[in-house]
Amino acid sequence: MRDLAVLFKGNNPARLLGGLGVTLKLSLVSVALSVALGLAVGVLMTLKNPVIRAVMRLWLETVRIVPQLVLLFLVYFGMAKAFNLQMSGETAAVIVFTFWGAGEMGDLVRGAITSIPRHQSDSGAALGLTRGQVWRFVLLPQAGRRLVPQAINLATRMIKTTSLVMLIGVVEVLKVGSQIIDAARYDAPQGAVWVYGAVFLLYFLACWPISLLARHLEKRWAC
Amino acid sequence: MKKLFALILSLILVLSLSVGALADAKARNLDEIKQSGKLVIGVFSDKKPFGYVDEYGEYQGYDVYFARRLAEDLGVELELVSVDAPNRVEYLTSAKVDIILANFTVTPERAEVVDFALPYMKVALGVVSPDTALITSLDDLQGKKLIVSKGTTAETWFTANAPEVELLKFDTYTETFNALLDGRGDALSTDNTEVLAWAIENPGFTVGIETLGSLDTIAPAVQKGNDTVLTYINQEIEALAAEQFFHADYEATLKDVYGDAVDPDNLVVEGGAIE
Amino acid sequence: MGNSVLEIRNLKKGFDGNGVLDGISLAMGDGEVVVVVGPSGCGKSTLLRCVNGLETPDSGEILLDGAPIGGMDMVQVRRQIGMVFQSYDLFPHMDVLGNLSLGPVKALKRPKAQVEAEAVEALGRVGLADKLHALPRQLSGGQKQRVALVRAMLMQPRLLLLDEITAALDPEMVREVLNVVLDLARDGRTMLIVTHEMRFAEAVADRVLFLEHGRIVEEGQPAEFFHHPRTERARAFLDTFEFDTVKKT
Repeated sequence: MRDLAVLFKGNNPARLLGGLGVTLKLSLVSVALSVALGLAVGVLMTLKNPVIRAVMRLWLETVRIVPQLVLLFLVYFGMAKAFNLQMSGETAAVIVFTFWGAGEMGDLVRGAITSIPRHQSDSGAALGLTRGQVWRFVLLPQAGRRLVPQAINLATRMIKTTSLVMLIGVVEVLKVGSQIIDAARYDAPQGAVWVYGAVFLLYFLACWPISLLARHLEKRWAC
Repeated sequence: MKKLFALILSLILVLSLSVGALADAKARNLDEIKQSGKLVIGVFSDKKPFGYVDEYGEYQGYDVYFARRLAEDLGVELELVSVDAPNRVEYLTSAKVDIILANFTVTPERAEVVDFALPYMKVALGVVSPDTALITSLDDLQGKKLIVSKGTTAETWFTANAPEVELLKFDTYTETFNALLDGRGDALSTDNTEVLAWAIENPGFTVGIETLGSLDTIAPAVQKGNDTVLTYINQEIEALAAEQFFHADYEATLKDVYGDAVDPDNLVVEGGAIE
Repeated sequence: MGNSVLEIRNLKKGFDGNGVLDGISLAMGDGEVVVVVGPSGCGKSTLLRCVNGLETPDSGEILLDGAPIGGMDMVQVRRQIGMVFQSYDLFPHMDVLGNLSLGPVKALKRPKAQVEAEAVEALGRVGLADKLHALPRQLSGGQKQRVALVRAMLMQPRLLLLDEITAALDPEMVREVLNVVLDLARDGRTMLIVTHEMRFAEAVADRVLFLEHGRIVEEGQPAEFFHHPRTERARAFLDTFEFDTVKKT
C-alpha cells in the first residue's frame, strides 16, 4: 500500500498527465486528419475509375496487413536512412496514424455513401442542385452521420495504439508510467500495480467521454 | 488482378524488412555538433540505475552522468533522447542521435554495425545466496542447485564451464528470484549488477561471488565511421581518468543501489583501461 | 402546338436491350394536367425520368418551352422542372424547413429569409405549419409526401412531374396527398402525373394517356377514357380495377 505513494512523488502526477496530453494530442490530430482525408478517399473510392480504385484498394490492404509498428519504423528510421529525411517521432506518428486512419475511414465512408438510397441523389438532382451541391448538402452529411460510431471506434483504437510510439522515442503516458515504475524499483517494488492502474484510469478518462459523445450524436442524428 | 496485388504487397513487406540493410543516414561530425550548439545522446529512460527519469522529470543515472559531462566539455547543450534496447542501433544508423549511452554491451556482431568507444563500465556474472549458507567460490557450488534465467549469459557460461553444477532454470527474472527466496535453489547467478541490486533490497542475502566468468564491457557507441565524434569521446574518457571521473559517477549514481559491500573497481572502468 | 410547355417527339429508351419506351410522342400546354396510366413496369417512370434528365433517351427529342433539352445543361433544366417520387425522399438529416429551402437557396441563389417566409406560408396551405422544424422521421408518410410536394413547388417550376406519389402510402393517407395535387391543378399548374388512383385520375386530368409496352395505346378525355374506352387493351386494363360481387345474398 505504501507503494501507492510513488504515484504522488515529486512531479509524477503532472508527468502522467503530460504523457496523457501527448497521447491525446497525437491521436486526436491523427483522427481529425484521418476523417478529413478519409472523406476524400471514400468519395474517390465510389468513382468508377479503375486506376483510382486499384490505388485505393492497395492502400487499404497495406493498412490492414502491415503492422503499425513496422510503418512507424519505416517512416521514422527508414526515411532517414533512405532519403536523409529527418523528422520528429511525433511527426512520424501522425503520418503513420493518418495513413492508417484515412485508409480505414475511406473504406467506411465508401460503405456509408453506397448505403445511402439512390433516390436521395435523385431527389437532390431533381431539385436542380449541381453534382457538387448534391454531394455537399445531401450525400456527405448523411454519410458523415452514419460514420460517427465507426469514427469514434477508430479514435479509441488510435488512442490505445499510440503507446507504440514509445519505440520511436515519443514519451507518451505509458512510457511515463514505465519510467516512474523503474525509477522507484528499489523503493517501491510493487509500484507497478498502482502506476499501471493510474494509467488505465487515464486511458479510461480519455476514451469514455468520446464514447458518450458518440452515443449522444448517434441518437441526435439517427436517420 | 489478385496476383498483381499479392506481388505488390510482398514487395512492400520486403522493402520494410530491408530498411535494416539500407545505408546509414548522414551523421553529424564534431564541428557540425559544435555549430548547432547541442549534442544529442540516446539513453534509457526506464532502466535504473543506468538511465532513468526521476520524479521531477529529470534524467539520471550512470550513463546520463557521463552524457552531461560530454556536452559540458564540448561547450554545448545536451539533448537526451529516450531509446530502448530494440531500437538503440537504429537511432545511430538513422542519425537521429550523435551518441548512444544506453548500457550498451560490446559484442563483435554489434561492432560490425556501430563503432564503440573505450569502455566505461564492465559487467560479469555474480552469484547471490542466503547469508546462512553463503557461497563464496565456485567450489562451494558443488552438489548445490544454482538458479539461472533461460537465455542469459549465466546459463551459457555455467553449462560450458562448470557442467557439474546442477542448474535450475526459469523463464523470467521474477521467477528466479522467487525460487531463491523460497529455498528451491541454493544460489542464483546472473549479471552482477542485477544480483547486487537485489541483495540490497532483500536482507539475509549476500553476493558471495562478485565477478565470475568472462568480462563484458559497456561502451559508448557512434555511427560507423563517425571518427571525429569517436575520437572526442575517447579523448574525454582518457583525460577524465585524472579526476577518477567514473568513480565519482559511481558514487553519485550507483553507490546507493549496490551498497557498501561492493568494490566499485569491479564495475567501473577508468580511462578506458581494463586491467 | 405553338405554346407547348413540354413536347416529346418519338422518344425511345431501352435498358440492356429491352425497349422500355418505344416511340412516345406528347405535347402539353400551359396549365394542362396529363395523367399517364398503365400496367406496371411499362416505362411510365422512365418517361418522367427522361423528361428531367435523370435518364438519357436513346433517340427522340424532348423540348421544354420549345427548346430541345438534349443539348442543354441538365442542371438548369431541372431547375425548371419539379419532380416528386414514390418513395419519400426528404433529406433525413435536415428538418422540414431545411428541406424546403435547400433548393431555392442553393440552386436558385435566392435570399434565405425570403425563401423561408415563403416556405412557412406554403407549408401552412397544406396544413403542416406546425411541422416546420420537425425531422422527416417524425412525420407520417402522407405528411412527408405533402412536404415533398411543397418542396418541389417552392422551386416555381414550369412543369411538375409526379411519379406514383401515393403508391407507397397507407390508404388513409392517400387522400390528404391527392387533395394537395387537386389544389395545384386548380391553381393552373402544368403537371404530368403517373398514378394508379383511377378516380383521382378522372377528377384531375385534362387528358389521359394509356401506356402499355412502351407505347401510347390510347389517349383521350377522362370522361371518355374511363367510361367508354375505345381499345380492347384499355378496357381490359380498366377491368382489372373492377370487382364483381362475390357474396350472393
